[in-house]
Amino acid sequence: MTDRFHHPDDRETRSAARVRALEALLIEKGIITSRTVDTVLDVFETKMGPFNGARIVAHAWVDPAFKTRLIEDAPAAIAEMTDLPEGMAGAEGEHMRAVANGEGVHNLVICTLCSCYPWPVLGLPPYWYKDPTFRSRAAREPRAVLKEFGLTVPDSTEVKVWDSSAQIRWFVVPERPAGTEGMSESELAALVTPESMMGVAVAASP
Amino acid sequence: MLTRFEHFALTSMAGAEDSPPRANGSLCFAEEWERSVFGVALALAREGHFEWEDFRRNLIAAIGNWERAQTPGDPSWNYYEQWLSALEATILQSGLATSDELSARIAAATALADTQSA
Repeated sequence: MTDRFHHPDDRETRSAARVRALEALLIEKGIITSRTVDTVLDVFETKMGPFNGARIVAHAWVDPAFKTRLIEDAPAAIAEMTDLPEGMAGAEGEHMRAVANGEGVHNLVICTLCSCYPWPVLGLPPYWYKDPTFRSRAAREPRAVLKEFGLTVPDSTEVKVWDSSAQIRWFVVPERPAGTEGMSESELAALVTPESMMGVAVAASP
Repeated sequence: MLTRFEHFALTSMAGAEDSPPRANGSLCFAEEWERSVFGVALALAREGHFEWEDFRRNLIAAIGNWERAQTPGDPSWNYYEQWLSALEATILQSGLATSDELSARIAAATALADTQSA
């Protein structure tokens, strides 16, 4: 574990002890089992999250026909990838649509109504996604907002803003970075960040 | 539409003051106990032992209490300590455990932890 937060060690130890006591009591009462926590976390750590979206994008990069199908009908194309966890094309995934960045076009996904977010492929939304200022500014002046994210889009490139809703949840297929020829799909997937699939960044360079 | 409880629970918090820390679209736990206390709360609500909204109300109250007691930007802030305190409160309110049971367990566990860290 990284030492991201600094606390007095004894406070950490006491919190850890309290949680162990709580868990033990609930297990003893038969309310939960020793597997409960792992089962819940499995959803977040292995089933639904940005690693799925990254694999879908990497597959689209190496297979142009798949990319075409992904843009035309994202749930159907995603369902072809049988090694993805179940529920990717169902649950929230059923209203998913993909838009591809390319020559002269950059896509940005926002949601002006609520926290509509393609959770199975992008994971949990960043804190600013629901911020009213981000949403209204991104709709009004997307280039300025992208610049603040560190992404300068040339004037010759059109910026398209896609507003997610309860009906359609958008995600972006970023452009494949230069210098990635010959990389495997899993190596490519490591370059696909959640931000790049929201259109506030481009895919990482190798 | 079929929505997983886990999805509902977390998106209900998105952008709100009680939203959990995330990094690159994933939950972000600094310690194993944070992961455990997160999982226990979600599992109990999913199994219907209490309402998610009741837990959230306690979480928001715990965060509010902490903020009133501290100066802004206090480096001792830990989101999952508030989560733990909210979970303990919700467990008592829902009758899953009595206050005596819980405090006896916690007293024993923290006493042991103190001996070990001393």
